[in-house]
Amino acid sequence: MTNSQENYNHVSVLIVGGGPAGLSAAIALKGTNKDIDVVVLEKGNAIGSHNLSGAVIEARPLKQLLDEFKPEWEKLPGADAVFSRQVDKDDVSFLYGGKNCQDMTLLIKTAKKLKLAFGDMDNHGNHIVSISELTRFLGTVATSLGVEIHTGFGVREVVYDKEKKAVTGVYLVDQGLDKEGNRQPNFTSGEQITADIVILAEGPCGLATEDLVEKAGMVRASNQLYSVGVKNIIKVSDDKYQSFGDNRVAHTLGFPLWGPVSGPAIFGGGFAYSNGKNQIALGIIAAADWKYCNFNPQRALEDLKQHSFISQYIDKGEVIEAGVKIIPEGGYYAIPRLKGLYGESTIGCGNAIIVGDSAGFVNMRKIKGLHNAIESGMIAGKSAAHCLEKPNKTAEVYTEQIDESAVMTEMMQAKDFRAIVAKFGQAVGMPLTLVSKYLPTFQIEKDYQAMTGEKFQYEVDRAFDKAAFAAMTSTEHREEQPSHLKILDHNICNDQCADSFERACITFCPAGVYEEIENETVAANPSNCLHCKTCHIKCPFDNIRWVVPEGAGGPRYKQM
Amino acid sequence: MNYIVLVKQVPDVSQITGNAFNPETGNLNRGALPSIINKLDADALTFAEKMRQVSPGKIVCLTMGPPMAIDVLKYCLSRCSEDAVLLTDRALGGADTPSTANPLAFAVRKIVRDMFNGSEDYVVITGMQSVDGDTAQVPPQMAAELKIPCVAYATDFEYENNSFIFNAIVSGGNQSIKPKQFPCVITVASFEHQLFPTFNRSRWAERTDVNSWTADDIKPTSFGFPGSRTKVTRVFPPPKSARRYKHVGDINAFIAELVDDFKKGGTASKYVPVEREYVLPLNRPDGPLDRNYEATNKDIEAFNEVRDALIALNINDVEQIKEEILDDVKKHLTSDIADYKLKGILNGFKVVEPTYSGDVWVIAEHEGEEIHDVTAELLGKATDLAKSLNVNVGCVLAGYNCGDLPKQLISYGADKVVVIDDKMLEEFKPGPYKKAIIEAINEFKPQIVLSGATPQGRVLTPMIAYGLDCGLTADCTRLDIRDNSSLGEVGVLMQTRPALGGNVMATICAKDSKLQMSTARPGVMRKLEPDPEREGEVIAFNTVLSESDAGYDITKTELSEGGTKLTTADIIVSGGRGLQNRGKYDSILRELVSGLENKLECEVECGASRAAVEHGFIGRPHQVGQTGTAVSPKLYIAIGISGAIQHLIGIENAEIIVSINNDSKAPIFTHSDYYIVGNAEEIVPQITKALNM
Repeated sequence: MTNSQENYNHVSVLIVGGGPAGLSAAIALKGTNKDIDVVVLEKGNAIGSHNLSGAVIEARPLKQLLDEFKPEWEKLPGADAVFSRQVDKDDVSFLYGGKNCQDMTLLIKTAKKLKLAFGDMDNHGNHIVSISELTRFLGTVATSLGVEIHTGFGVREVVYDKEKKAVTGVYLVDQGLDKEGNRQPNFTSGEQITADIVILAEGPCGLATEDLVEKAGMVRASNQLYSVGVKNIIKVSDDKYQSFGDNRVAHTLGFPLWGPVSGPAIFGGGFAYSNGKNQIALGIIAAADWKYCNFNPQRALEDLKQHSFISQYIDKGEVIEAGVKIIPEGGYYAIPRLKGLYGESTIGCGNAIIVGDSAGFVNMRKIKGLHNAIESGMIAGKSAAHCLEKPNKTAEVYTEQIDESAVMTEMMQAKDFRAIVAKFGQAVGMPLTLVSKYLPTFQIEKDYQAMTGEKFQYEVDRAFDKAAFAAMTSTEHREEQPSHLKILDHNICNDQCADSFERACITFCPAGVYEEIENETVAANPSNCLHCKTCHIKCPFDNIRWVVPEGAGGPRYKQM
Repeated sequence: MNYIVLVKQVPDVSQITGNAFNPETGNLNRGALPSIINKLDADALTFAEKMRQVSPGKIVCLTMGPPMAIDVLKYCLSRCSEDAVLLTDRALGGADTPSTANPLAFAVRKIVRDMFNGSEDYVVITGMQSVDGDTAQVPPQMAAELKIPCVAYATDFEYENNSFIFNAIVSGGNQSIKPKQFPCVITVASFEHQLFPTFNRSRWAERTDVNSWTADDIKPTSFGFPGSRTKVTRVFPPPKSARRYKHVGDINAFIAELVDDFKKGGTASKYVPVEREYVLPLNRPDGPLDRNYEATNKDIEAFNEVRDALIALNINDVEQIKEEILDDVKKHLTSDIADYKLKGILNGFKVVEPTYSGDVWVIAEHEGEEIHDVTAELLGKATDLAKSLNVNVGCVLAGYNCGDLPKQLISYGADKVVVIDDKMLEEFKPGPYKKAIIEAINEFKPQIVLSGATPQGRVLTPMIAYGLDCGLTADCTRLDIRDNSSLGEVGVLMQTRPALGGNVMATICAKDSKLQMSTARPGVMRKLEPDPEREGEVIAFNTVLSESDAGYDITKTELSEGGTKLTTADIIVSGGRGLQNRGKYDSILRELVSGLENKLECEVECGASRAAVEHGFIGRPHQVGQTGTAVSPKLYIAIGISGAIQHLIGIENAEIIVSINNDSKAPIFTHSDYYIVGNAEEIVPQITKALNM
């Protein structure tokens, strides 16, 4: 019979989130000490299903991780997906409306030579990867080392012991509730899992992470800021793909985020990467502090597709996959820290540490976080392996190591790049980033506070189909469960948002989850949710809470 | 009571995208599709756990497949199963249904010996069918091998006085079935609230060893490709759906268009008559060298080319074809045909007599005093086939007090009706029906036996085929007589059916069988106009049946009173689970039905999805779909129905399909002419308003 003797609900090291950061931590842990019992919990139905990125990766930390802990990694299935596509053409273009564009590549190269901030956009030597595929491969590596990966388990909250200032474990989400929250015959109460060490690797705006930040009293010197990234994978003809190139990274600035009238309206830009197999990965990243209540990044992507610079490659192409993710961009000052008595601080609390996007390790000068996620995970894994005897030291050891690592060097270099842009706008802010060290530290507002009644001037009025977009993400949730999107106060939607911002969530939600039904804002289609959490960070009244739904729900990205 | 839950790993066909499937070649890249547990098998596991709560025992899950199929066993272990058996062996691969059922039955015997200490107090529980094969043949065939009863299409059970009574779906109603004794096989048509894994059990499952058995461990008597009684001749992409898949934005404009459309008739592909009637080689005007009736066009071309070469060599008689002429023939060929193939073709020319002999038979299905529509349709098809083969159309009718049923069968095309009239055949039970029909087939030796892919036919026919040790192809949408001359087969039945949830079509023929059997989907074949003057022979056939053949008692049958108009109505409005409750189902459908009746002045009937029937929105007779009624109205409106494959199969002959669902990804949309994304409660009043304008 089952397990009465052994307590399977206790683990030595529990990693919440099976993305690149969490799996890197698991690999480093098991690779350092194979006797440690390491468990990764992933809310997606499978590893890789909830991972989305451009992605162009700086290979060093990944190579280091694999070479150090799994030297024979190249023999594992899926290894070919990792470093197959090295960038050999790298260009940046500034798009004006309509057909015109200007190649800025030379400018960037010059900037790099001068060591200016935007010179970091140079991508030579990096690799184009699919982060879903990369994550699946890391899952294979982790499993081969003996890491236990359990998919389909969402974490509801951390269990925090105030006395010990430590996390004793986590609670999983309940499963088997109906829409009204009643228990169905298959109700399975969210188990408590206890752990000696907990590594939080949930990705941006992690719920368990934010729970720990709150319960332990951690602080961010500056608010976390986000961008919203929308991505399509488009299958094109042989000719079009060849004309684009097989190892190309193209970035765009300007149109459609900068309007002909509004000028530099929204911070961000577009990208188009070779994805192999006649596919082009096309996307747009828009800073979430947009002020336009009618703005939707997906719509902007549709506009980008129409620009001749892009349409020349994707014309008659077929979108085969789509997805959305938010990117933490607050930088160095937005990393959550727990202050000690003597001015020291930890990125975590006692036996619990925060890694990757959950911590906010994205370098905004490079617009890259994947390499930092892997490196921070690796450092976390090594630190945890050395702290098993004294788990409460983990946060201290981890923070010491990470503060001295390349991760933090980069975070320092780019420390306020994004914050300055947010504070001063692009026109003034971009030049100011060059002299940021002379600026005083300042506080910036949260993304949602930026919303105004102003309308974004789209170049053309173009309809697009959110339903079709959601279908391309293969997202699904069990229908009969309580909505995991909670509107806190419906009066705010009706009395304030409806008039001021035209119920902005209905527009910006990329999956069409929100609808107006009988003069109410309703999360009508929670099963379409893509787990991007844009509503959680962007509701102009901070009136929406995204909570973790039943396990295995959400998108099923294959090659994002 | 102990429980053996039979599970299968299947490709997740809901995830089929442009990447996973090449629509031109019809090849499915299975590697690109995630593998999951067959949904109905997960329901079966839940069913077993619920039975265990009233009658405690051990749950053992069993699967047959490649080593990766271990994942579905871990699925079961992480929920409620105590032990798991993986039957994996290359020798077991390439199997069709009887050569799958046989090893599984032997594995069940070993489980009973090794894990239940020989206790016969067990049930085998499984989903009624898998989403990839979709044949529903393995469970009844396993029951046939184990010689135990099979309770098909269970939806729930009751436990009274220490005994189980199963609720099961039958044509047009529900039945309560009480097994006389255990063991028995139960197939589950649906069961809600699938179990969730717990973290604790998942970790335990990871550490638990699964019993891995090979063919040697269980010693099956028929397995793998050698044990198979069918072979796949061709796999090809399904015809492009003619559905328009049009998104509806403006309701008023849509109604105008729909009304217009309704008057013109829709887009559904109608019955396609056989392009070219088959003629046996010896009757062909151009003589037996005419090989224009091969199974594939490629073969026809190859034969024609070789025939031209033979004519060039002045060889006009099959007798003159000898091995020595091979090199001469090669000189006259324009394309390159491999030697082994050429030898096959030359030998093929020598085969002129049909491979099988005997009549073409239909197993009659009847409801009370009427024969089932599908039986009339199959008689129409059998007439075509028999004409090609120069044989007669026969029909076997099992029942009690059959009255004028034989006469009806003759009027639809039967030349001979073999009637087995017995009190034991009064109500349909697979056991006695199987026994009686097998004996009749053995006596009269038909070459082809057709049966309807109805709930009854899908249980009975696999058991008969297993008993006769012959191939059976389920749910055929097309039946033709063709040759496989190079394989030495002439005048064989090519059975074409959709597979993988309709994503591919496969043409299959019998192998190592003394006769060829198929079931065909209702509504696909065309019935002949009944001719009451038609004459035929009625043969009484007697067999000895006893109570012990039945295996179970039917304690209650609830059939519809007066029947529904589902098969005759011009318009069917169906509601699904999306309508939430009976009240909404009633009010929304009533509103729409009266709106349509007034505007279009025709007959409108209410239908329902299986889920809606399970939830008590309306009675079983109104269920549309594979386990309900297959319909072919002029207009079908599906409200709050997501579009499970079993439902879609039942509506594919509707002329116009309109679907309304608030889930923008509802699979039914791609099978619709018009689809509306939205809440039925808001949409339907708009439609009725537009209709009344």
